[in-house]
Amino acid sequence: MSSTGLPSLDFSAVEVQVREALRRCTPATVEAALEYRKSGDVTQLPAVIFGIVERYVDPSVRARLSADGVEDLRVVEDLGLDSLTIMEVVMLVEEVVLVTISNNDLRELRTLGDIKTFVDCRARGVEPPKPPKRYDAGAILAVMPIQPPFLFLNEATVSATQATATYRITGEEFFLAGHFKGNPVMPASLMLEALGQLGVFHLLSGLVQEPGKKVDAGTIFFASTDGVRCSRVCRPGDVLTLTLKPKRIKAPLVTFEGYVHVEKEKAVVAEEITLTFGLVDEIAPVAEVPGLGLSSGVEPVLASAS
Amino acid sequence: MSRVFITGLGFITSIGNDASCVETSLRELRHGLITYPPFQKDSIPVKVAAPVREFTTSAPDAEDWTIPAPYYVKREVLRSLGPNALYALCAMQQAVADARLQPEDVSNEDTGLYAASAGSPGIMTRYLNRLHELGPMRCPPLGVVASIAGTVQFNLVAQFKIKGASTGFSSACASSAHALGFACDEIKWGRQKRMFVVGAEDGDADTILPFASMRALSLNPDPETASRPFDKGRDGFVGTGGGAVLVLESEAEVMRRGVTPYAEVLGWGQASDGHNVAISHPEGLGLAQAMRRALTDSGLKAAQIDYINAHATSTPIGDVSECRALRAVLGEHASRVAVSSTKALTGHGLSLAGAMESAFCALAIRSGFTPGSAHISELDPECAGLNIVRTTSSVAPAIVLNNSSGFGGANVCVALRRVA
Repeated sequence: MSSTGLPSLDFSAVEVQVREALRRCTPATVEAALEYRKSGDVTQLPAVIFGIVERYVDPSVRARLSADGVEDLRVVEDLGLDSLTIMEVVMLVEEVVLVTISNNDLRELRTLGDIKTFVDCRARGVEPPKPPKRYDAGAILAVMPIQPPFLFLNEATVSATQATATYRITGEEFFLAGHFKGNPVMPASLMLEALGQLGVFHLLSGLVQEPGKKVDAGTIFFASTDGVRCSRVCRPGDVLTLTLKPKRIKAPLVTFEGYVHVEKEKAVVAEEITLTFGLVDEIAPVAEVPGLGLSSGVEPVLASAS
Repeated sequence: MSRVFITGLGFITSIGNDASCVETSLRELRHGLITYPPFQKDSIPVKVAAPVREFTTSAPDAEDWTIPAPYYVKREVLRSLGPNALYALCAMQQAVADARLQPEDVSNEDTGLYAASAGSPGIMTRYLNRLHELGPMRCPPLGVVASIAGTVQFNLVAQFKIKGASTGFSSACASSAHALGFACDEIKWGRQKRMFVVGAEDGDADTILPFASMRALSLNPDPETASRPFDKGRDGFVGTGGGAVLVLESEAEVMRRGVTPYAEVLGWGQASDGHNVAISHPEGLGLAQAMRRALTDSGLKAAQIDYINAHATSTPIGDVSECRALRAVLGEHASRVAVSSTKALTGHGLSLAGAMESAFCALAIRSGFTPGSAHISELDPECAGLNIVRTTSSVAPAIVLNNSSGFGGANVCVALRRVA
């Protein structure tokens, strides 16, 4: 990124161009962009990117951008941008930040956080993290040591920094017959269990690795949890959105913070969920579990399930 | 074969942005021509144009345009619109409301849309300039959709969720008359129950000035006389833009919905000059043949015609050709049948002209007036034997023809009838 951030001899021309390009953005966006172009200060980039996205978001959903959890907002589903508008966002980002984003890169950027991270890495000249991989029910079933009727993950998306999954409470779950009598409610303990299961899947998806080692699926167990608060009763028909963010990973322990939402409503918070796991030697260069890419450099087949 | 009726109209024109304004202008011969600011340069010999009022669409960025109430266009829609499609979108809203169509009447497999526009040369120019300057990946993603000739139907079909037949027509100044003719056939032959017919043009400097070097534009700087079809002193046409929409429906749909049509579309005809790429045949052979075919298609005789809305654009050659065609077809009835060119008031709308002027005819038929041909101070002797009416009368025409001619010698004539 040799051209980025170097003070230009003729910054006034750059300033005119940036102000023109961003003239429908907030003054704060323009200032952040100018500061970035002047000093190369990458801490300005989130403000630039969110400011550009905001300019393209329909006024009726703009309020969402000032709420909590902006980075998790999905560009298409939550902000209502269609693929052509995303193209416009990208072109303006490219023009102002002087990065290039290819069609392939673009396809992987689903959330505002993804876009921010991607542009940030490009501006710093480092490789952006691997995009999150999405797994369908079959892919989850294939690797999990936990199986129905006790598996509470329908589909999952996993990256190095986050794992998300959904689980739809069908009403057919065996335990709902007794929890409670005539009043089916998803047990809070099982919502924690669901978060734990997502932690297991995160461990098995191959992102936690030491050279020559891999996580042994038979050695993962629940260790502890802390700071658990439940704030919403979940019933049949609700779709639980499970989110885990790794806080510490060092064999034999991994600690996540976890959330369960139903749509935008918070149902469960767990400040810490810790699992133990064991590592075994990698035997063959070919993945034991086809498609999950546990050890080989081959593109996971199951990732195409997305 | 089904009969075909006009049940709704929409207008964004230089003489009014709704039917009642347009009717007042036609009745009182109020023109829409002005000394057009973008033309006031030494390098531009043309001074007058007839722009659409209340809208401003000259800014390179569509988000800087002025769109008058009650119209509101979201950014995600606006980004694929040229001025022509914007005018058409607004006229379409009027036409849908005017015809009292419900959303399910508009969006179904039996309802189609035919449109005509020459594209948006202004947007195309800015797009290509940017492409050459910054490369193809720095251009607006929808620039091509907003600028090529099909832009009007692309946008309207998507916006109004049209599911039936859709296409565009490109015969220059006969385009939207072709659209009307073929839309009429779609209903006649039972392929569609309802068709929207749309004509639209930007009508800005980039649309109009390319006609200057072929000496087709009037150099008369006076807006009061620059457009004067059939006048001896005429010296070319005055450009205009806007959007016009007609709703055509089958007899069964008219009965089912219980609406009162403006008029019936009896039939149409077309023929080509086979003569010159840009100059009409001196004897108006193609236009005369198109008129005869329209009469045959409609089961009419010249004796039945009350009024003809002429194509006459105010060019020295074109108006004479049309006079000869009119005399040839009307024969002994030439001195009786009222003829006028409403382009004296509106200017020439190119691809917009046929739809706009057929819509004027529908309005005249239902409201009971015969539009006059304005700005004639000395009738061209070439018009001898024709009844060129110079003022609007309250005579309600029962049978009306509307002529249109385009580059390449394409000619279209549409026949309308009052619904008793």
